[in-house]
Amino acid sequence: MHIPDAFIPIWQGGIYWIIALVFIALALKWAKNEMNEEKLPLVAVLAAGIFALQSFNLPVSMGTSGHLVGGALAAIILGSPFAAVFILTMVLIVQAILFGDGGITTLGVNIINMGVIGGFVGFYTFKGLKGVTKSMPIAAFVAAWLACVIPACACAVEMFFAGTFPLTEGLLAMGIYHAIIGVIEGVVTVAAIYLITTARPDLVDLGVKTVTGR
Amino acid sequence: MMDNKTFIIAGIIVALLIGVVAVFMASGDPDGLESTALVVQGQKQLTGATPPDVEIKEDMTGKFSYTAPMPDYSLGESMGTMGGSIAIIGGTILAFLVVLGLACAIKFAVKPAK
Repeated sequence: MHIPDAFIPIWQGGIYWIIALVFIALALKWAKNEMNEEKLPLVAVLAAGIFALQSFNLPVSMGTSGHLVGGALAAIILGSPFAAVFILTMVLIVQAILFGDGGITTLGVNIINMGVIGGFVGFYTFKGLKGVTKSMPIAAFVAAWLACVIPACACAVEMFFAGTFPLTEGLLAMGIYHAIIGVIEGVVTVAAIYLITTARPDLVDLGVKTVTGR
Repeated sequence: MMDNKTFIIAGIIVALLIGVVAVFMASGDPDGLESTALVVQGQKQLTGATPPDVEIKEDMTGKFSYTAPMPDYSLGESMGTMGGSIAIIGGTILAFLVVLGLACAIKFAVKPAK
């Protein structure tokens, strides 16, 4: 759901940029205060992994493809929605500047959708469901699915404000396509959390997991 | 449990493998947003396949335009999948280095504000 420059007027892109900058500043503050030396490699490896996974478009039927976004993954693994903003901002900057995936004036709105909305929806859904279900896979799958679908709906509304999509038709198509793409998001997120917690249980705090051997 | 060095190396290898496999296996169908654009422009049915050679109509008036050096994760037609692999590998390593660099800069270079 990387919005290209052509889809949003420059002035609207500017407004989203200003909002995005507030969250980027908060994310930098998170990095400064919460990210310890132990977590630093995990943050960088997650950035590389999310970049690679975002280039992997899987067919989701109906002439459409989709890939992992990674907002929920980053937020859950690192225990903060601002971690998602931090990582997604960097990944989106590299994608926009070098690969033309997502625009420059629309970088702000893309950071809001995938980093901020994806990160917050993913993190708090996971936190809430983990408490209720006590199950990492269920909580992470639902969190990641919502972290794909809700930003997609936000994107449809932004496209309506930009005069690019009509509201209902845009919401319907974006919602349907991302409801399926969200399944990829869910499966990959659960698998990645499983792999990372197996390799380095000390780095991940999922809330209720007891770390053994320490 | 893996130490930091092994974890970083294993993580990057996994990321690079995913990226390179993506160059060969990734679907060429439009993504959710592009697909929606085609639907609202009447070029594609909501649940139907994407017709070959359709192009999203873009109204560039009042819009910003920028041409990236490696558009669509490729180095151009002539470089083919090799070019695509180089682009993805470069991008993955760059994403790692940019985040590592920034994180280190924030952690170690910036003096705590007092």
